[in-house]
Amino acid sequence: MSADVQLWSFLTAGFLVIILFMDNLVKKIIGMMLIGDGANLVLISEGFKPGGIVPIISEKLFNGSASTFPDFASQASNSLPFALVLTNIVIGASTMAVMLGISIKLYQHYKSLSVNKIFKEGDI
Amino acid sequence: MIIEYVIMAVIAMSTILALVQRDLMKSVIIIGFQGLGLALLYQRLLAADVAVTQAILGSALIPGLMMVTILKTRRYQE
Repeated sequence: MSADVQLWSFLTAGFLVIILFMDNLVKKIIGMMLIGDGANLVLISEGFKPGGIVPIISEKLFNGSASTFPDFASQASNSLPFALVLTNIVIGASTMAVMLGISIKLYQHYKSLSVNKIFKEGDI
Repeated sequence: MIIEYVIMAVIAMSTILALVQRDLMKSVIIIGFQGLGLALLYQRLLAADVAVTQAILGSALIPGLMMVTILKTRRYQE
């Protein structure tokens, strides 16, 4: 299943085309968010083990499926990509907030959200 | 095993539906469903902490910020 998730998320990153061809600024921002989600899914599926357990240590765990700590370490999924992806999600949300604020300012100046009209009115 | 494929199909469908709409408010609401499906997929991939963060940000905070943007600009795509 991990390979399927990776294939699907590379397809999601192929939504880059939508950023290039969408005219509206809000839809361009949605497309950039989708690319970030695709990269996050690739990293998450790197740490996935089929039939594994969640990497959280509790008392009940050592009475159940994993009896010793090396046993737990061999069954648990790799938790390093999870920490990286957690950082990436929060940074992506704050970057998107800045992009939305800039698009509000562009609308107040040019009275339009269409990229073609903005490029026609401004001498860019 | 079948649940993950159903979730992936829901995410792909909602992505395509959100980018086709002319009404931006509908598009933002459908993007909230996409974030929620992504959180369920992270939970099935044994990443519980990432799933909690994605569920909060992707289904509530990001659509909220986009709705504020749409209310301050215009709602229909020209």
